[in-house]
Amino acid sequence: MDDIPTSLTYTVNEGENVHLNIVSFKDFSDRTIDIKVLSNGSFEGAFADFSRGNGRFILNIHLIGEGAKCHWSLASLNNGSSEKHFDTSVFHEVPHTEALMSNYGIARDNGRLFFAGVSEIRQGSHKTKTRQESKIIVFDPKAFGRASPILRIGENDVEASHAAVVGRLNSAHLFYLESRGISEEEAKRLITLGYLRPIENFFVDASVIERIEKAIEGGI
Amino acid sequence: MSQLVIKNLEVAVKDKKILRGVTLTVNEGETLALLGPNGHGKSTLLAAIMGNPAFQVTGGGIQLDGQDLLKMTPDLRSKAGIFLAMQYPSEIPGLNSADFLKSAMNAHRQKPMSLFEFYNALQNAYKDMGIPFEMSKRNLNEGFSGGEKKRNEILQMRLLQPKIAMLDEIDSGLDVDAMQIVAEAIEKEQKRGAGFLIISHYARLYNMVHPTKAAVLINGRIAVEGGPEIISRIDADGYEWIKDELGIEIEKEEGGPMNTLSIGSCATKERLNNGKK
Repeated sequence: MDDIPTSLTYTVNEGENVHLNIVSFKDFSDRTIDIKVLSNGSFEGAFADFSRGNGRFILNIHLIGEGAKCHWSLASLNNGSSEKHFDTSVFHEVPHTEALMSNYGIARDNGRLFFAGVSEIRQGSHKTKTRQESKIIVFDPKAFGRASPILRIGENDVEASHAAVVGRLNSAHLFYLESRGISEEEAKRLITLGYLRPIENFFVDASVIERIEKAIEGGI
Repeated sequence: MSQLVIKNLEVAVKDKKILRGVTLTVNEGETLALLGPNGHGKSTLLAAIMGNPAFQVTGGGIQLDGQDLLKMTPDLRSKAGIFLAMQYPSEIPGLNSADFLKSAMNAHRQKPMSLFEFYNALQNAYKDMGIPFEMSKRNLNEGFSGGEKKRNEILQMRLLQPKIAMLDEIDSGLDVDAMQIVAEAIEKEQKRGAGFLIISHYARLYNMVHPTKAAVLINGRIAVEGGPEIISRIDADGYEWIKDELGIEIEKEEGGPMNTLSIGSCATKERLNNGKK
């Protein structure tokens, strides 16, 4: 993430397909990224975050051409006493646009994790599809998580949905694994792995995937 | 010889008493059919033996070969030789089936298996269970059909080789072919010497795995215990005779739609439905 300027603006041109892969292993700090997607352009962003520190990551995606699409995925592991905010928003400014924004996080120790963001369908943007998913697992008594996605819909004829879940580890899942001889500690590790690992699917560079794998294994 | 001994077991869920003193023994090589109307404590008994923290043991004891299971966490009970095939196996997002099975198998060993040894065991087990090996790459139970989940439970039983295996309605959701495969897998474990505690509402599974004894759980207690002939009697007549012969008033499940004839016995319900047609 250190390679990214604190403020970045990028335009995905007509018909273009752009992938943005972000990893952060060390220090978390404020960043703002603005993306514009033109007609039939596609933006696929993924952020694997294992850093420590405080800050706010802001992502605004503007779908400004018909047929524009975006898919955002975040996996964030929050250890220590970090406080991290992720505001990931998408603005459907024209008809026939699609967005999937998904944020997954784990809050441990004294970590505080906040997922927010707006999915906005502007007036006149009919036949658009948008979905926001935010999920945080709170591991420790002093850790904290809040997910507050917002849908703002100014047009009829659209598909919009959101899901926000903040909770502790599912006790039925833990019992299932433990009943097979797996210790509580190992069961928690397996569930967490399963939660963070899917982010690897969005990364291209094999050496980066390996570093993410190590960060997941080492962090939990 | 392995022996599971349950003595005067009392179990509550959220302060509601479900089991009110259950005493049962399952020996190595025995297969016990556990019968009873719905809501009378069959699944509760199995969950309590496995150590599900949602169930509080308020009295009595459970021992396996003299070890006090109540002092052990579920993973230690598993390692001691208890297995529970669950009625509703959990779907675990993102957890690869093969990774899970490797963790579970290694937990039962002093030394981790070699990769070669593990894949051999895995391939054989999938083949025996008639499950495509590709399924081992899928997330644990995620998106599996009801039948696939049940076969996956038996697959785990095969790989973990328990001393006492408890099966909670393993036959629900299985078609005839899958039922045959599951019955064969049970038979193999029976020959190995494993003891079984099996809950089912259908005589078909019982006919295939030949229980050596049967017990009927009513109102949180064992009302009748005896040979496998009890199974056919219940299959034919339901549970009413227990009331008539033993004077036990069968408490109705709370909230459930009930009439006196169909007290939770699927077999009876089916006959009723067929009769109506």
